[in-house]
Amino acid sequence: MWSYVVRRVLYNVPIFLVIVLILMGLLRINDPVAARLGKVASAEAIAAERDRMGLNRPFPEQYADFLWDFARMDFSERSWDQAQTVGQVVFPSIVPSLSITVPALALSAGVSIVIGLIAAANRGKLIDRALMLGAVLGMCVSYLVYIILGQKFGAFWLSERLGTRIFAVQGYEDWTTWSRPLNALRTWAHYCLLPVLISVVVTMGYDTRFYRAVIVEQATSDYVRTARAKGCGERRVMFKHLLRNAMIPIITRIMITLPFVVVGSLLLEIFFGIPGMGRTLYNSIINKDFPVTQAIVALLAAIFIASNILTDVLYAIVDPRVRLS
Amino acid sequence: MSRRASIAAWMVTFVAAIACASAQPAAKTIALPMRTDGPKSLDPAAGSTTYDNMAAVQFYETLLQVCYYDESRFEPLLLAELPERLDDGKRYRFRLKEGVRFHDDACFPGGRGRAVNSDDVFYSWKRLADKRNGLKNWWLLEDTIVGLDAFKEAQNAALDAGGSFDYDAPVEGFVRVSDLEFEVVLTKPVFRFLWVLTMFQSSVVPREAVERYGQDFASRPVGTGPFVLREWVPKQKLVADRNPNYHDCTYPEASLWSEEDRAAGLAEAAGQRLPIADRIEFTMYVPDQPVWLEFQQGTLGYIELPFDYFSQAFNPRTKRMNADLRRRGVGYRAVPQLDMIFRAFNMDDPVVGGYTEDRKKLRKAISLAMDLQEFNDAFYSGLCVVYDGPIPPGLDGHPQGGRVAGAPRGPDLELARRYLAEAGYPDGQGLPTIRFYTSQGGNNADQVELLRRQLGRIGVRIDVQLVDFSTLIELVNKRSAPMFSFAWLTDYPDAENNLALFYGPNESPGSNHWNYKNPEFDAMYEQAVVMGPGPERTALYERMRDMVIDDCPMVGSLARTRYYLTQPWLKNARPTERFWSWFKYLDVDESKR
Repeated sequence: MWSYVVRRVLYNVPIFLVIVLILMGLLRINDPVAARLGKVASAEAIAAERDRMGLNRPFPEQYADFLWDFARMDFSERSWDQAQTVGQVVFPSIVPSLSITVPALALSAGVSIVIGLIAAANRGKLIDRALMLGAVLGMCVSYLVYIILGQKFGAFWLSERLGTRIFAVQGYEDWTTWSRPLNALRTWAHYCLLPVLISVVVTMGYDTRFYRAVIVEQATSDYVRTARAKGCGERRVMFKHLLRNAMIPIITRIMITLPFVVVGSLLLEIFFGIPGMGRTLYNSIINKDFPVTQAIVALLAAIFIASNILTDVLYAIVDPRVRLS
Repeated sequence: MSRRASIAAWMVTFVAAIACASAQPAAKTIALPMRTDGPKSLDPAAGSTTYDNMAAVQFYETLLQVCYYDESRFEPLLLAELPERLDDGKRYRFRLKEGVRFHDDACFPGGRGRAVNSDDVFYSWKRLADKRNGLKNWWLLEDTIVGLDAFKEAQNAALDAGGSFDYDAPVEGFVRVSDLEFEVVLTKPVFRFLWVLTMFQSSVVPREAVERYGQDFASRPVGTGPFVLREWVPKQKLVADRNPNYHDCTYPEASLWSEEDRAAGLAEAAGQRLPIADRIEFTMYVPDQPVWLEFQQGTLGYIELPFDYFSQAFNPRTKRMNADLRRRGVGYRAVPQLDMIFRAFNMDDPVVGGYTEDRKKLRKAISLAMDLQEFNDAFYSGLCVVYDGPIPPGLDGHPQGGRVAGAPRGPDLELARRYLAEAGYPDGQGLPTIRFYTSQGGNNADQVELLRRQLGRIGVRIDVQLVDFSTLIELVNKRSAPMFSFAWLTDYPDAENNLALFYGPNESPGSNHWNYKNPEFDAMYEQAVVMGPGPERTALYERMRDMVIDDCPMVGSLARTRYYLTQPWLKNARPTERFWSWFKYLDVDESKR
């Protein structure tokens, strides 16, 4: 297996290099200097700023420098937009993103799989139709509407009615103080639970329909009929046989979302003022902060490649028919 | 206990636990909003945006400050008295206030902030000439102080040659008299120089801190300001505590306030030592909804009411605050901006540019087809002031009633069509589609649809390009945008700042984005720039204004009025956008919180 992993990593190195090359090239199509200096920049000020930002250097040199720094995980280059290094901008934003996306992914995957199973087990019945109608309704409404209504009613209206603030309208505090776990949980719930719930509601619609389709497809397979003919109970058929065989598409779906777990949920982070990776990436693009954009996209590309390789490994673990070679 | 009751009990406990997480703020702490992702730097020499200003002035101070009780005037801040004007305004003598010390910081011997002296002022201004600081604020002192431009050239050349920027090199116009006294010799008696001394970029910083912290100086402010930095989480929050060593500065005397302000209770704190609050906490808000909801929750001391929420707080027709907010004791202040929202023409463009009669008539036809009041009603809740020319309300040279006789103020479709025909494009025939650039932000996508419809009425077609702000600036700087739009917020309350936008030598990539070149205008500008306020200068401003209106390099203008809401517990609040150090005057009435 390890030789397979090493080979896959090596195959993906050129892909990574091309991604970074395209990214850096695209970023430099428009000159970022004028935007930084605003409406009253003189030609001299623009030239001085370009020099300061290192944009006067040849592109291959900038490309090689970035790769060299990235390979050494050296993120000490200064952000162009903030009075910090790239590392100081990027790394503190990982935990806030994970605070939302990991619980949201776990909850939505867990709940959706259960609902998918229930719907598939009751295929064609009223309960199946009701669940699927709920899922479609969930998908029909824009993410933004959930956020705005969630903020208005979940945070503001509820607080007004109860006379105490359950969920924050917006904001984030570092909750990772492990010495006082209850406090940590309280702080996390105050700032993050509402965005998590909104995220779950939104993604559940898509996930439930997907998982139901996967399970229904498996439910019509020969091995399920055989299991039933052998006298397996419905629960055993569902969890022991069917769910196990449905794991490949389920793993694929979850693994595809993994890089986005790290990069966060842009809309949620912006509206709830959560200083996560999504918001950091968005800000860096808007503010033409190339060092930060490059670092985040390169990290994302690396995580995406890693999660693809990990997916293949997991296939082999959950399905004995799959052999890594 | 039944299972259901047990679940209910757990939920109640959980909700109560979460509620406890939102702790009440400590006494005399004021939560304030920043409607953006916040400052990019706390270094005055590197700052330029409103939010850089809002943050930096809590920690740094300038020689002069805008008066809280009258924003059209300035008063000494780090000075003992207003500077003495010598040689008909070509030389100023300054005397620093005694006992002003920098914040206590490890960069000073023993960690105790030292007294501010004349060299600190010279050093701070020289930093604006250092290209390593970006030169973005150099325009404030360019061609102003004798020898400073030469100093800049020489030192930056030394940097380019691999040497160092020598801050000890002399500047002829900086004359040190003593630790607390100095003189500045100007190249010409430009009146705006004193206004520049109220701008945060000219704040006084200690050399020790800059040298010790290097690039980190941008996030480690060491100034003389009323607050010291406690915590800055970029793009999230900034917390500042009262500076315990703040110099002797008091709330303005009662006699200085207008009767209206006195009636509003603004003079009650007269004579109190500043700052009054123990702590100020800025939170950054990008979307509008959270700031509006948090104000309603009573968390934020004040907010600038977003235009989209105006109708929720006020009756749009009567501009009367709604009953709920009135009942809660919420106060408000309408703050007129020194603002100029315009649609501009690139005067170098082969189609819409040029100074011949037919080109002027084309631009005037476009101007006459536009209905600025419709923009005002549709997009600004009718809160803007529509006026002719580039001088906003409140400044010398602003036309009476906002109107100038003969100005191409629309809508006048008949005259627009006539001018268009006289320009050689009857009903727009033969006129190529004009490319119009504006930024993607706000409601610009809707605004351009209205513009397209208004111009379509006379047969003028525009090709709208919604681009991000940086692209817009780049295109304008390269003179590639035939027609474009953005706004200009006047830096200091003198129309000279707006008229400088039409001064030939400031053409792109400078602030003269329309590349307007008129030798007569330039000569008048050079004359006006060295004049102090008075009827003679106002007359000159008016002639320059009319010249711009006649040549029509722009269609405009609109000046926004922003509504600020204040909580009943926030005392001494008189929100303004002319300067941002007024948080030091704020107080809290805990009994009303």
